[in-house]
Amino acid sequence: MTPTKEPTGPLSALREFPQNIWNSIFRNPLPSTDLERSSTSFTNFFLHIHPVKVNRNTLRPAYTMGLGLMATFLFVILVVTGVLLMFYYVPSTTQAYDRMLDLRGTVAFGIFLRNMHRWSAHGMVAIVFLHMCRVFFTGAYKRPREFNWILGVLLLLVTLFLSFTGYLLPWDQLAFWAITVGTSIAGYAPIVGQQIKFVLLGDTTVGQEALLRFYVLHVAVLPAVLVLLMAIHFWRIRKDGGLSRPEKRPAPATDAGVVKLKKIYGLQGFVRGPFTKLGNVPDDSVYSWPNLLMAELFVFVLTISAILVVSLLFNAPLEQPVNVMHPPNPAKAPWYFLGLQEMVSYSAFWGGIGIPGLMVAVLLLVPYIDRGTAGVGRWFAKERLLANTIFLTLVILNVIFIVIGTFFRGPNWSLVWPF
Amino acid sequence: MTVAPPSHDKPAASAEAAMPRRRMLAWLSGFGLFASALLAVVSDWLFFKPRVTYGPSARFAIGKPDDFPPGTRIARDVERVCIVREGNKIAAISTTCTHLGCIVGIADTGFACPCHGSHYDQDGNVTGGPAPKPLPWFQVSLAPNGDIVIDKNAPVDPGTYLTV
Amino acid sequence: MRLALAVASLVVLVVHGVVFRNQFFHEWERHQTAYIEQARSLAKTDRERTDLDARSPRIEQIIVSSFGDTHVDRCTTCHLAADDPRFMNHAEPLKTHPYSAALGDVQRNGQWERRHKFSDFGCTVCHDGEGRGLDTFYAHGQDEFWPDPLTGYVTQANWRKDFSPHLKGNEYMEANCAQCHTEEGFAGTPHVNRGRKLFYAMNCYGCHKIDGMSEGTLGPDLTEAGKKFKVDYLWESIVEPRANLDTSFMPNFHLPQDDVEALVIFLKSRRGVNFAETSLDRYKAHVANVAVVIPPGTAGEKAGEQLLGDRACTACHKLGDKDGGIAPDLSYEGLIRNEQWLADHFANPRSRVPDSIMPAFRFPADDFQKLTAYLETLKTPPPSNWDPQTTFTNLCARCHGEKGDGNGKVAWYIDPSPRDFTKQGFMASKPRARFVASIQEGVGGTSMPPWKQILKEDQVNGVLDYIMKNFARQIFVEQRRRNLPEANPVAASPESINRGEQIFELRCTGCHGRKADGKGPNSLDIFPHPRNFRNHWFVESVPDKRLFESIEYGVQGTAMPSWIDMLSTNEVGDVINFIRSLQTKSK
Repeated sequence: MTPTKEPTGPLSALREFPQNIWNSIFRNPLPSTDLERSSTSFTNFFLHIHPVKVNRNTLRPAYTMGLGLMATFLFVILVVTGVLLMFYYVPSTTQAYDRMLDLRGTVAFGIFLRNMHRWSAHGMVAIVFLHMCRVFFTGAYKRPREFNWILGVLLLLVTLFLSFTGYLLPWDQLAFWAITVGTSIAGYAPIVGQQIKFVLLGDTTVGQEALLRFYVLHVAVLPAVLVLLMAIHFWRIRKDGGLSRPEKRPAPATDAGVVKLKKIYGLQGFVRGPFTKLGNVPDDSVYSWPNLLMAELFVFVLTISAILVVSLLFNAPLEQPVNVMHPPNPAKAPWYFLGLQEMVSYSAFWGGIGIPGLMVAVLLLVPYIDRGTAGVGRWFAKERLLANTIFLTLVILNVIFIVIGTFFRGPNWSLVWPF
Repeated sequence: MTVAPPSHDKPAASAEAAMPRRRMLAWLSGFGLFASALLAVVSDWLFFKPRVTYGPSARFAIGKPDDFPPGTRIARDVERVCIVREGNKIAAISTTCTHLGCIVGIADTGFACPCHGSHYDQDGNVTGGPAPKPLPWFQVSLAPNGDIVIDKNAPVDPGTYLTV
Repeated sequence: MRLALAVASLVVLVVHGVVFRNQFFHEWERHQTAYIEQARSLAKTDRERTDLDARSPRIEQIIVSSFGDTHVDRCTTCHLAADDPRFMNHAEPLKTHPYSAALGDVQRNGQWERRHKFSDFGCTVCHDGEGRGLDTFYAHGQDEFWPDPLTGYVTQANWRKDFSPHLKGNEYMEANCAQCHTEEGFAGTPHVNRGRKLFYAMNCYGCHKIDGMSEGTLGPDLTEAGKKFKVDYLWESIVEPRANLDTSFMPNFHLPQDDVEALVIFLKSRRGVNFAETSLDRYKAHVANVAVVIPPGTAGEKAGEQLLGDRACTACHKLGDKDGGIAPDLSYEGLIRNEQWLADHFANPRSRVPDSIMPAFRFPADDFQKLTAYLETLKTPPPSNWDPQTTFTNLCARCHGEKGDGNGKVAWYIDPSPRDFTKQGFMASKPRARFVASIQEGVGGTSMPPWKQILKEDQVNGVLDYIMKNFARQIFVEQRRRNLPEANPVAASPESINRGEQIFELRCTGCHGRKADGKGPNSLDIFPHPRNFRNHWFVESVPDKRLFESIEYGVQGTAMPSWIDMLSTNEVGDVINFIRSLQTKSK
């Protein structure tokens, strides 16, 4: 290419400054043609996570309810608020609680940031769990998505572990005894239980070593693992051909909400099948730009406004400073482990290790046991009645145990009436 | 390092001679790296397992036998242990309640926990309250300089005594 | 390429292996295994034997928090037999820690019982060293970056070779005993006690502050000397005061080695406020205790002579054959100063010489009287047959220097500095009468004493001629007529003083300082230093005419410029009024 003959003196360079800077960063125009819409997936760093086109069903709120996106956005909020909190928090048994008081008292937006972090954390555990239910009930773990389901189970465990490690950091009575109970449950594992507890806590009891190790896990190791698993999880979605959907779908009643476009430049079209498919079969896909992006944006706004409102209205708890001589009665684990604690009160091994272990094993094995491909992409498909029923039962049982552990257990773990 | 250029008259033969050598080198490299990775993994486990902890030591001296007259039960709250002496036999029973970790006090009938009402008999067996397990007994030994040494990392069967 | 890869992979493996192996078979494991074997052969019961068989090397530590900060002592990992009485004759590290009555240990039923139990004290509280280390080099504190090497056992590599041999010995540990055993006469710390006595006897307390013991401000605060410095630094500071600070005016007391050691051990025991020694009353009692025993009936002067010797005045001053090289010669003090001057000067040296560095020793008034009386007896004049050169060398050169350039032996310690006679500008610009007056009457508020009782008029003139000929190399030159008022024409009204202050602040503070004490920002670079106008002895001895002359015409041979072109006579008068007004304030 020959250079143009335009004058390139300093004056003209100065005049063209803004244009040149803008153009050097944003080299492609805001899409206005189909070609441009398609190319957003490979001309923008952040957007290349999107396929060029997505199936219509993927964007249906009633299908996914945006739970996966919500979990991701909650994680983003957690990382941002978490890093901000890191500027003021010190993982020392003598300083941690005072720092929490400072965050509450003197740090600008300290209360608010901490609330956001706390409620996003609880929210993420709940949303991740609901997301898992959604995936199960729509049969989206079946072939070819088995490994993605495995990744999801791992993501669930890492999320729980992240929440657990973060729970200790305020170093108040709530934190200390919850983690004491939680790690005691872990110690019930046969043979390796005590060893694992020792390595986790760095000592025989919860103390400075445990606080330091939990801090490192919480801010560095587990987020890195989570991000890695999330990246593979999203990659897998793309490779599996996008989200699951029913096989055949009647023509939609209305095209409202979908931006209709003339030409179709689907990458998958180039890769997977012959051109002739285009236009010959009902095309259920829509351009990612702007439809998927709008959906994501909407879910993000929904998530963050919910978190903002909740953070404004409710303060994260901070109880008395740690008093090793004074266990509260009852001492309760974080809510997502209360189901376990309830079960432990019947049998230490089965409640703490046996049943949870079995549950995780079953979850991991489900896609390899349930091989039928009927009913994928629909909620509560009749073809999957057995699987759905079993899963729903387990879910409800878990919720019941958590509810009992939360509201119906009092001093000495005796049954109490909460009202 | 120089690679000898393959001789032009016998390319096939030298290519075949290179194969076992190549395979061996590949195997050596693989072995070296894999074994290193294995060592690294084992080292990680060693790294994470603490070799010292900073709390009070689990093994400590508690005094001389003469400090515990026969027929007495003396509780040491700091060390969370009760020294029982019957005649010339000494034992150490934990005073950490097995329910949620409070310090139990000596009662007429044995031990009683002020926090949630657990009761134990003279030997530490549970007689009431929410405690799930009996109070453990610890190994008692005699140090060369005459001190009684308790090892809380070494639980022993209830009824095990040290004869002094 | 594959060959390189294979070789590199094997190197990686070997390095991994070496690193891995280094985490096992530590030095301390060998010691522990040796102990276990030995103990097994000494075991008397089967139970013991089985216990030992089941035992594997492990890190032993004692954590002690009762001494301020937390000590984590892992010494017993190697010194495993420290509390095992059967190893008393073994070689280190498996040797029993000695028992002794001196350490407070008692024997009960034929067995020794330790007073300082290891579980209560740990090791480093008494021995120093690095408790957390697990190899000899670091654990014993041989690492030069570790502030507390094993006291009395270990010297660090960067310590001076000429000191190191003196810094070893068990007695150094007394410094640590004294952290708790702070009583003055504690039997277990004889070296600390001796050092404490020396601290008072050698007048260290006059310059150095130790909380609860002394208030001196001339030298560094030694309250935490033991915490801040290692023994080699303390030793060096005593035997070579200028080793670490060129400008230090700490005298070298030329103490015998034993005394230095006692002082070092005493200073090493200073780790902060000793709670047993905070009250000022105790301090005063100390001073009384340290008082020299004077036989009753001894006349005041004899007592004074004894006091002078015991209080180490000659660590700075010269008297007889002793000379500290820092302060003036006292040999003729009876002829130079009167009783009132001496009494005032003893009570507070700065009441007579405002910029003196002599500390205000808090002796009882009685002692001052005795010292004054003694000094007043020093009335033997020097031989009258001294020629001017001898006179100058023996009387003047100590301050003014052999070469008359103001660089005498003690000149550095004197403020205002002794006059530099080689400054021709100055020497030529002053009338001879002034010099004669300075010699005979002295210069008020400075260390220049009146010599009239020692030197007769012809001697004075002889010395003056000697100075002018050999140093100033200038005979007096009549200056051009200077128009100087005899007295200040401006009345000393508040307005005048105010005006004078304004001018002073504008013109003079750069050298003479905002407080007119001669410590302005430029003063350090100027020699001789700018005059201190708060020195009322001096200012009052100078007539207005001379002040006018100095200000209007400057002082040749110094940095004082002439202001005649910038200040009118009345303005100068205002300034002089201001300066004089300071004298009533500073009295």
